[in-house]
Amino acid sequence: MALNLTINSSNPPLGALLAAEHVKGSVNLSVEEGKDTKLYVSDQVQFSDVNSITRYLARVAPALGLYGSNMMEQTEVDHWLEFSARYLCGRSDLSLALLEVDKTLALRTFLVGRSVTLADLSVWAALKGNVESQVKSGSYPHLCRWFSFLSSQVPFSSVGSKWANKIT
Amino acid sequence: MALRELSSLEKCLGLKKPNKYGTQGERKVPVLQNNNGAPLVGLVTIASHLVHEAKKTVLLGNSAEERAVVQQWLEYRIARVDNCPKDELKVILKELNHYLEDKVYIAGNVFTLADILMYYGIHRIVVELAIQEKERYLNVTRWFDHIQHYPGVRHHLPPVVVLRNRVYPSGHH
Repeated sequence: MALNLTINSSNPPLGALLAAEHVKGSVNLSVEEGKDTKLYVSDQVQFSDVNSITRYLARVAPALGLYGSNMMEQTEVDHWLEFSARYLCGRSDLSLALLEVDKTLALRTFLVGRSVTLADLSVWAALKGNVESQVKSGSYPHLCRWFSFLSSQVPFSSVGSKWANKIT
Repeated sequence: MALRELSSLEKCLGLKKPNKYGTQGERKVPVLQNNNGAPLVGLVTIASHLVHEAKKTVLLGNSAEERAVVQQWLEYRIARVDNCPKDELKVILKELNHYLEDKVYIAGNVFTLADILMYYGIHRIVVELAIQEKERYLNVTRWFDHIQHYPGVRHHLPPVVVLRNRVYPSGHH
C-alpha cells in the first residue's frame, strides 16, 4: 500500500516531515509539496492534523520504535504530542513550558525511553519553528543540550536546513 | 580488571576471535602479544589497536579536534580515574559533571571509544553512589545511563539503577 503525504510548502509541518524521513526506509511513502498538509492513506481515509499524521506513520512502522516500546512509553509519547500542540505551538510566552521540558531532560538523553520517539520529533519541530533564540539563552541547559544534539543528527539536520527557513 | 574490560571491548566492537592477553609489572598493565610485530602494552594502546582491527576508526573521532578530545579523555581515564584514592572521587565526579552538562557523549554529539572506556572505568564509582548523590552529579548519571544502555556496551558489568525523574528537586548543582 502506497502512502502519499502532501505538505503545505508555505508553512511546512516539520514534525510530519521528520516522521516521514524516519519511516521512508520501511514504508512506501511519497512526499509532495502542495497547498494543504494531508496524509492520503486511501480514498476513504485521509489525515490532515499533524499529530494524527505522525501517529499513523509511527504505527505503520512499529519496528522503528517511534511510538515507544511499551504501554507506559506510548502514554508518555501521547503526553508530549499533546504538550507541544497545546503549550508550544502558537504561544507567545513559552518560559514555563520550556522550564518543564528542561526539567524532564535533566536525567534523560531523549524525552521518552532510550531512543528517538515522536515526542522528540514534535517538541523539536515546535521549538525549531518558534523559539530557537530563546532556547539558546542559557537558562535551559538540558533543553539546549538535547536540542543541539538532535539538530546534529540526520534527519533533523537535513529537514532543518531544507524547511525551517520557510516557516512563517 | 583491565583484561575483562578488553574482552568486553572485543565483543562490543564485534571482533570474532578473542585475543590472549598477559600482564606486566605490579600494576598489572595489560600486554597483547601481536602476531606481526612488537607486543602492545597498555589499556588505551591495545583498545585503539582493537578499534583499528575492527575497522571502526570513527570511534576514535572524525575530525582532528574530535580525535584530540577522545585521546584526552582516554588519558584522563588512565591517569585520574584508575587508582584514584577514595577522597578524590568526588573531585572527578564534579569535573565530569560540569564537563557533561552540554554534551550527550564525551566528544559532544558522537559516540566514541572515550565513552566506552570511561564507562568501564567509572562504573565502580557510580555503582557505589546513593540516589541523592546520583542526582547531585546528574549529568554524569544521565550520560552513564545512556552508555550502559547503548547497544552492545555493557557486557561484564552489572546494570546500575538510575531514576529518570528528579526526586530532590531543589538544588544540588
